[in-house]
Amino acid sequence: MQTSTTYSEGATRPPKRNWLYFMRYRTLRFVGLLLFTLASFIVLAPFAWTLATSLRLPTESFTLPPQWLPRNPDWTNYNRVFEEIDFWRMILNSAIVAAVIVAGQLTTASLAGYAFGRLEFPGREILFWLIMATMMIPLQATIIPVFVLISRMGLNDTLASLILPSLPTAFGTFLLRQYFMAVPKDFEEAALIDGAGQFTIFSRIYLPLVAPGLAVLAVLVFNTHWNEFFRPLIFLLSRDNFTIPLGLNVLKGYMMTGSVSVVLAGVVMSLIPVILVYSFGQRYLIEGIMMGGVKG
Amino acid sequence: MALPHRNTLTRRDFLRVSGAGAVSLAIAACSAPAQPSAPAAGGEAGAAPAAESVLLRIQANPDQETPVYEAFKQNNPNVEAEFISVTGIDHEEVAAKMLAMLAAGEQMDLGFAATEATQLYAGKKLSLALDDYVKANEADMQEYFADVHPSLIEAMMWEGSLYQLPRDFNAANMYYNTGAFEKAGFGHPDPDWTQEDFYNTAKTIAGQEGGSKTYGYAWINRLWGSWMPWIFVNGGNILTEERAPGGEWMWQTFYTGDAAADGRGGGWRWLAPQANLAANVEALDFMVQLFNEDITPAVELGGGETLQGFFTSGTLAMTPAGGFWSGGLANAGMENGAFDVQLFPKWKNQRHQFGTGALFLFAGTKNPDTAWEYYKFGASKEGMEVNGIFTPVTLTTPSRRSMCNAERFANTGPEHWEVFYSTLDDHPDTAPIPAPPISNPMTTLFTSYTARAMSLEMTPQQALDGMQKELEDLYARDGEGMYNLE
Amino acid sequence: MSTTVAVNSQKRRSRNPFALLFENTLAGLRRRRAAIGYLFLLPTILGIIVFTAGPILVSLGLSFFRWDVFSPPRLLGWDNYSRMFSDPRVLLGFRNTFFFVVVAISMQIAVGLGIALALQQRMPTWMRYYFRTAFFLPFLMSGAATGIVIGYMLHKEFGPVNYYLTMIGLPQVPWVNSPNLVLFTIAIAYVWQNMGFTLILFIGGLNNISTEVLEAADVDGAQGFKRFWHVILPMVSPTLLFAAVTGVIGGLQIFDQPYVMTRGGPGDASRTAVMVMYESAFKNMEIGYGSAVAVILFIVILLVTAAQFSLSKRWVFYQ
Repeated sequence: MQTSTTYSEGATRPPKRNWLYFMRYRTLRFVGLLLFTLASFIVLAPFAWTLATSLRLPTESFTLPPQWLPRNPDWTNYNRVFEEIDFWRMILNSAIVAAVIVAGQLTTASLAGYAFGRLEFPGREILFWLIMATMMIPLQATIIPVFVLISRMGLNDTLASLILPSLPTAFGTFLLRQYFMAVPKDFEEAALIDGAGQFTIFSRIYLPLVAPGLAVLAVLVFNTHWNEFFRPLIFLLSRDNFTIPLGLNVLKGYMMTGSVSVVLAGVVMSLIPVILVYSFGQRYLIEGIMMGGVKG
Repeated sequence: MALPHRNTLTRRDFLRVSGAGAVSLAIAACSAPAQPSAPAAGGEAGAAPAAESVLLRIQANPDQETPVYEAFKQNNPNVEAEFISVTGIDHEEVAAKMLAMLAAGEQMDLGFAATEATQLYAGKKLSLALDDYVKANEADMQEYFADVHPSLIEAMMWEGSLYQLPRDFNAANMYYNTGAFEKAGFGHPDPDWTQEDFYNTAKTIAGQEGGSKTYGYAWINRLWGSWMPWIFVNGGNILTEERAPGGEWMWQTFYTGDAAADGRGGGWRWLAPQANLAANVEALDFMVQLFNEDITPAVELGGGETLQGFFTSGTLAMTPAGGFWSGGLANAGMENGAFDVQLFPKWKNQRHQFGTGALFLFAGTKNPDTAWEYYKFGASKEGMEVNGIFTPVTLTTPSRRSMCNAERFANTGPEHWEVFYSTLDDHPDTAPIPAPPISNPMTTLFTSYTARAMSLEMTPQQALDGMQKELEDLYARDGEGMYNLE
Repeated sequence: MSTTVAVNSQKRRSRNPFALLFENTLAGLRRRRAAIGYLFLLPTILGIIVFTAGPILVSLGLSFFRWDVFSPPRLLGWDNYSRMFSDPRVLLGFRNTFFFVVVAISMQIAVGLGIALALQQRMPTWMRYYFRTAFFLPFLMSGAATGIVIGYMLHKEFGPVNYYLTMIGLPQVPWVNSPNLVLFTIAIAYVWQNMGFTLILFIGGLNNISTEVLEAADVDGAQGFKRFWHVILPMVSPTLLFAAVTGVIGGLQIFDQPYVMTRGGPGDASRTAVMVMYESAFKNMEIGYGSAVAVILFIVILLVTAAQFSLSKRWVFYQ
């Protein structure tokens, strides 16, 4: 970040110290920033309403003018989340599923992405396209055969049923392939001259260079599986194994008789872990860029 | 259930499912059709429970079903239960899970089905007819049937046999916001209020000056309780209605002397579409008129969470709903007394539409007798009282008349709770929403063309003509063999 | 195949294939790198064969059958496919999907790149952090919340968006209730949810542009749009390709947003290909027909992706 920030400052500085030019430049910048801020408020508005509604009853939420701020916050909705579902257990289940999948996908995708991006071998193009092709079938189309398989393997109603099929990733392979391809060749040549082995070149030279890619993939995959609804719906049978999106659906209640505010309280709480992962991922992403060398 | 692949994961099976070459073999392995086992003779049902432990796999919400099971277990300590939790809210989500379970040959003993699925499961021989069990337990069952309206029983029949004992039901009555009514100078409507009374009320409320606008009436685009109630009170239906022969065993044994059981048959048959019937067009015209006059907001296309929110916030005066809404409104923070309910207004008649639901026995159950014992207990007064859908908060209307009482609705409201059951008692012609075995694709067509009319893309006549045409195609393609016609 | 691999080289029986691998020559190095390539691919290929490719082939097989799970599958041959071409709902589903993808994915890329560029401007670190988080946050929103919250925001009569529009004298917009507008509305909701990811991709892409290149551009006096078009765009083109390819693959499978917001309505105006597939399989219990829709969708996505890749050779620039 450091390098690019320093650079940007230089780039956007007006080239001439003309007074009129300077004022116009300043005004434009100010207006731009104002619009940008406004846009960010619009994007965040649904969150404000979600948070505010989770802190009051629905009777006070669906009114006009809209109530963006929680006045007289009332925490009973949060208490009811804990009364109605085993919240911590479901959070734990989701965390296990998402974390193990992230670790697994980072491993499989970095290996496969490196192979496709940096190595040459017969059949590379065909294999790449076959893997890409698996991204192109909607999940809903294969859910029954996958469930039959899961059931025959005896993985029915286990967290492993969610984890195991998700360890390979076509998307992650493609993503990291792009990152590996963007690394200039010089690095490898330098390493080869140093007499480094093939695996060392991958793990010591390339992997650190694609750290931003790994961070992007980690955040994305964690989020996807944290919020995943359809596969858990089909694969999991007992409450003890439920992940949090299924829990949120339980909160909607029989014939939708649950309170919207309680559902949204659950939504707010289940957002916290992904926000934490995002913050961590973001830092790693920035640090990865700063470690740099990719700029060569 | 004949499920040869259930417990044998051989290497070859594994390769069949996962491997590339043997696609057709994989399909054969996938398809584990639910073979109906012959209904066990009811004779020994009710006998002392067997000594060895029996596991029942029950597709139900554990929050609701666990208290029933706990109570059952006190007298049946050898019965274990495993709950298969289906959290899907929509029919497709539930169906996706059920189909996957069946395809994998998962053993299940009891499942849940609402009106939308009753005939589908019966027609596909997935659910077990209860006739023999009911006959064999005549003494016990007398009490149940005496407490449950015959309309509900008839809705659970298919081709002369009974498949489920109704547990809860919801007829679409008219909920209203008492504050909005008072502000516009209206009191509790009469039970025989008319469509014209309704129109005047809604128009007055929506036309009031000052403050934020309150809409007169709103509804959600779906099968149950959408504009379907208006079709019914106008004497229409989108499918023809007919009674299957049979069912005398039920009415003559359990409903002798009950006038409400007169003329009932062996369950409903919906044999042909009639979407563009004049009465239907008139009802949809009325819906469009309400929209054009700004009495009704744009129709709800999504899940309907927002409509409930708007009703509780007082921006909506009336909407069709059943007993389940009292619990929902209370959960949303609406005070007891802030809302009330009345029968749906009279137009050509006052025939309501309802949906009902209950557990059913899987035809493939290996322990039909134990499953029936559990089932019978679940339908008993004791079993129903502890069910999580009625206790501690009433989340839906009990099918038993004796359980629809003042005490049940004392905390939540509505004040005129007796409307829920008098819908059936005072209007015995009240009937289930049309739900033939092909009800799911039918619903897609129904909501799709409804929305076309409500978004003014088509006139009601055009929309219903289009619906009729597609329904005819659907019946031609899939409608054969839904009923045992001679 | 000029490169010799251990597996291929077994013809030369006289020599141990392992020896070939460890030969200390350039050819040996190439062989080693190829072997490593296969080794690295092994976990991915194996997993994909078992859990993805296998089930896909089963679905492909099922597309030739009529199957409702309750009874054994019945072979139909090509009937499911020929039926599709006279099924107005399927054709409309594909048409809606294409329209949606063109609108949504171009919007998503433009917005993502635009915000990433704006974030390059001079501003305090905390502000940059705030903006980045603000625009990323919707990506973390769960499906359970999206249906409720967006349904409320865009409600025609009771929603805040129309409330503010009417305040400044505009009419109420029938966001989801107009068949002409509904796909735009769903595209907006989709972009709202997904721009965060595109943004992160472009932040990474822009940061990879080497300082020297930009300085060279400054020396040349490239400013504003010119600088963007001739310097920045080529440099982020690999990221752009990735965003476009994955965006289109994902967009062609659009399901969640219309499912929770409109159930495909009004009429069939927002019914997408995957919705038709899902409804066929699980609502109408015609799993074979649903599979056939999925197969056609698969072919369409494959063709579109292949076209993107082959066109990319003209505009994507690798450093």
